Amino acid sequence: MDKDFAARRRRDLIIAAVLAAIAALTPLFVKDVVVQNIMILTLMYAGLSQSWNILSGYCGQISLGHALYFGLGAYTTELLFTKFGVLPWFGMLAGGAVSALIAMGLGYPFFRLRGHYFVIATIVIAEIGLLLFHNWEWAGAAMGITIPIRGDSWLKFQFLRTKLPYFYFALALCCLAWFVTWWLENSKWGFWWRAVKDNPEAAESLGVDVFNSKMGAAAVSAFLVAVGGSFYAQFVSYIDPESVMGFQFSLLMALPAVLGGIGTLWGPVLGAAILIPLTELTRFKFGGSGRGVDLIVYGTLIVLISLALPRGLLSLFSRPKKTGAAR
Amino acid sequence: MTALLETRGVWQRFGGLVANSDVSISVGRGEIVGLIGPNGAGKSTLFNLIAGVLPPTQGSIIFDGEDVTNLPAAARCQRGVGRTFQVVKSFETMTVIDNVIVGALVRNTVMREARRKAHEVLEFTGLAARADVLASDLVPAEKRRLEVARALATEPKLLLLDEVLTGLTPTEAQTGVALVRKVRDAGITVLMVEHVMEIVMPLVDRAIVLDLGKVLVEGKPADVVRDPKVIKAYLGDRHAVGA
Repeated sequence: MDKDFAARRRRDLIIAAVLAAIAALTPLFVKDVVVQNIMILTLMYAGLSQSWNILSGYCGQISLGHALYFGLGAYTTELLFTKFGVLPWFGMLAGGAVSALIAMGLGYPFFRLRGHYFVIATIVIAEIGLLLFHNWEWAGAAMGITIPIRGDSWLKFQFLRTKLPYFYFALALCCLAWFVTWWLENSKWGFWWRAVKDNPEAAESLGVDVFNSKMGAAAVSAFLVAVGGSFYAQFVSYIDPESVMGFQFSLLMALPAVLGGIGTLWGPVLGAAILIPLTELTRFKFGGSGRGVDLIVYGTLIVLISLALPRGLLSLFSRPKKTGAAR
Repeated sequence: MTALLETRGVWQRFGGLVANSDVSISVGRGEIVGLIGPNGAGKSTLFNLIAGVLPPTQGSIIFDGEDVTNLPAAARCQRGVGRTFQVVKSFETMTVIDNVIVGALVRNTVMREARRKAHEVLEFTGLAARADVLASDLVPAEKRRLEVARALATEPKLLLLDEVLTGLTPTEAQTGVALVRKVRDAGITVLMVEHVMEIVMPLVDRAIVLDLGKVLVEGKPADVVRDPKVIKAYLGDRHAVGA
């Protein structure tokens, strides 16, 4: 049985490596900028959703306020860059650290809340964050921050002539988030998180530190999402509160995981691979007049999923469980 | 030898309701002690106080020579108190082996060791064949056994069993009794709350009867069942006179 388990872990790792290798080669064949753009966003959301999944899927603390951490990552990076000349690479780490600290600070009161109450608190906090940035003059308020263009450079992580560096960064982010999940899944934390999700009282009786489990999950999750936010800011080279902290980001982190299979290793990647191209294409097809069509797509998908496959698309592939009586 | 567990003048009030009043009991090392009493006697409350779900209103709880009165459940687990729940609380989306690994992680920080320990416990409790099944797919008797397995994986000194034999078929209950004996033979002290007298009485070394939140009688099972006070508590005055 131990061998089965180890083999399954190894198989997951090999599949991930193969998929990453294939993804890394696609730009050789796909030269269309629009398609490249969609691939970058798909990889980014896959990574974000994978990170969201750590707190909300594994640990069961459903957050609809992760846009806050995404925005904090973006703002920390760009404020440090435009005001103090700090390179985005350091800004990225700083953004991650700021977000992780704020996630834990918020967790301190909010992890006492259960279920719907927790979800509502996360939405409200993200909205408050959005309002604060809207009115914060020094951070550009509603005008936002335009990232000064200094020419293509890995050092400053900005590229005008090609999207490829962004593509590879998004791929790396996605791989990182996946790998962190894979690694944590078979660690004390991974087991604690799932135990906390399923039954906090039983978990406590088995020596699980429920509160700190949630704090740990929140910190890892927020850190990775903030790195995604930093990347996004560099990628679009202009940020304002709505464009990096709007509620849609919270949704776009949650939906791929829900679609693919919440609390699973592969769910977020699978969900993002379907959802993001679909919404980007509909948005592209319908142009400016199509605003809102992507929302119809989300809504329809969610209804279909909850009706037909409440445990996500991944449940289609899971091996049938042995449910017979004990031998 | 000092007792493994001792409660000293423990009170628990919920608003106006007194669930435990001045309960002082002790459980010696290696004993199987039964905690019995009619419905509403305060057994479950006392159980939760010992497990650390909530602190008592008054009084203290000494475990293994240490005052644990104000320690939360997780800390008591680390010190060697394992428990099961009357209403089973399996981790439903996890497999049987994963459920048990959560318990094993208390004393094993390396995953491989925790997994090995968990397999060992499943073997011990007779659940090995069901290791890879989701906990939600177990039948009720197996879920009860999984509760015991999880608690055993934490390598407790004291195992608190909350009605693990209630609601089982006679055959299942006998298997359960055998398991409890096996646990004690492995050197673990057992304190069990139980309703079904005819199963529990032959099993325990000593019985403590609670009634209306107080310790009514305590002693050898054979003496306890004949005690007029116990009969009265269970069946009312008329029967007590007959005895």
